Amino acid sequence: MFKKFCLEEISSQNQVKASVQRRIRQSIQDEYPGLESVMEDLLPKKIPLIVVKCPNHLTLVVVNNVPLFFCIRDGPYMPTLRLLHQYPNIMKRFQVDRGAIKFVLSGANIMCPGLTSPGGVLDEEVDVERPVAIYAEGKQHALAIGFTKMSAKDIKSINKGIGVDNMHYLNDGLWKMERLD
Amino acid sequence: MAEKLEPVKVLYCGVCSLPAEYCEFGPDFARCKPWLVENAPDLYPDLLKEANEKAADNVSDKLQSVGISSGGADGAPSSAQTAGTSKKEEVKRLPGGKVKKKDRQEVIIEKVVRNKRKCITIVKGLELFGIKLSDASKKLGKKFATGASVVKGPTEKEQIDVQGDIIYDIVEFITDTWPDVPERSIFFIEDGKKVQAG
Repeated sequence: MFKKFCLEEISSQNQVKASVQRRIRQSIQDEYPGLESVMEDLLPKKIPLIVVKCPNHLTLVVVNNVPLFFCIRDGPYMPTLRLLHQYPNIMKRFQVDRGAIKFVLSGANIMCPGLTSPGGVLDEEVDVERPVAIYAEGKQHALAIGFTKMSAKDIKSINKGIGVDNMHYLNDGLWKMERLD
Repeated sequence: MAEKLEPVKVLYCGVCSLPAEYCEFGPDFARCKPWLVENAPDLYPDLLKEANEKAADNVSDKLQSVGISSGGADGAPSSAQTAGTSKKEEVKRLPGGKVKKKDRQEVIIEKVVRNKRKCITIVKGLELFGIKLSDASKKLGKKFATGASVVKGPTEKEQIDVQGDIIYDIVEFITDTWPDVPERSIFFIEDGKKVQAG
């Protein structure tokens, strides 16, 4: 998703008004209850929140020139990997086996067999169309952030096709852009 | 009820900017290795061993060469090492870790008959030497006072079409204008790739 992403890809950058800021804050809070305690630090009310629009209906939520969340169309807000590394427990985890790591790191979507093989871990409660963190077998930190195309139960039973869409992965365009200046 | 979540401090590799444990999947593990040995030795314990072995080998080599002859032998092994690693850097990796089959760097020159009298000379493979095709075609056209254009071939590859039959002069021209192109890597096509070098 963020394979190619550089400063030229930004189509517009706006400071949002307080009502929109509140709405964004609220939806992020609903999505990630684990972040509630640090919400003040991450998205303070006083500091202007900048929303960056990019082609492909992509919006970035930026605070202090650091992108924190992104969302596609009106989908759920997803944290950037850098943020997820700092607060790893806010999202559900899926784990892929070792062989899949290099494919995921080039932006490939995650196929069901990668999650159902030994070495892969599925969190049964996860539904369709939900953001999940993708971890790798044997690694401590998140590898990518995905958007489930099938619920965990379906992935297990059908075991064919794309299970999770790879939205943001290590060393992609968004990862390389730690700060926007 | 919920205490403040503390951000986890992640050690990111100084070379590839990935979390240290992912360096082996990064673009250049060989460069990350020395950094890793210093900053994150516990993640890759075999690296430490490797580094020690390498250091021991280097020292023993140096001692040997100093014993046998002087300076000359010392320069040779170390330069061979650096040449080896830089070649590896150029190897492009496809997703999946497979190495893209390296097309041998060669320039192929072909003559195609257009009408009964007229023909065109097709030059393929200049871009493998890092030559900009649009500049090359301009130069070719100017030099031979004919039309030259960049054309997309049946594969993704592009080629330069020059009007007229210039295959013999073109070899000299290419080697003169672009000294990077050695004469031995220019091939003509004579009914099935006759390796008629230059």
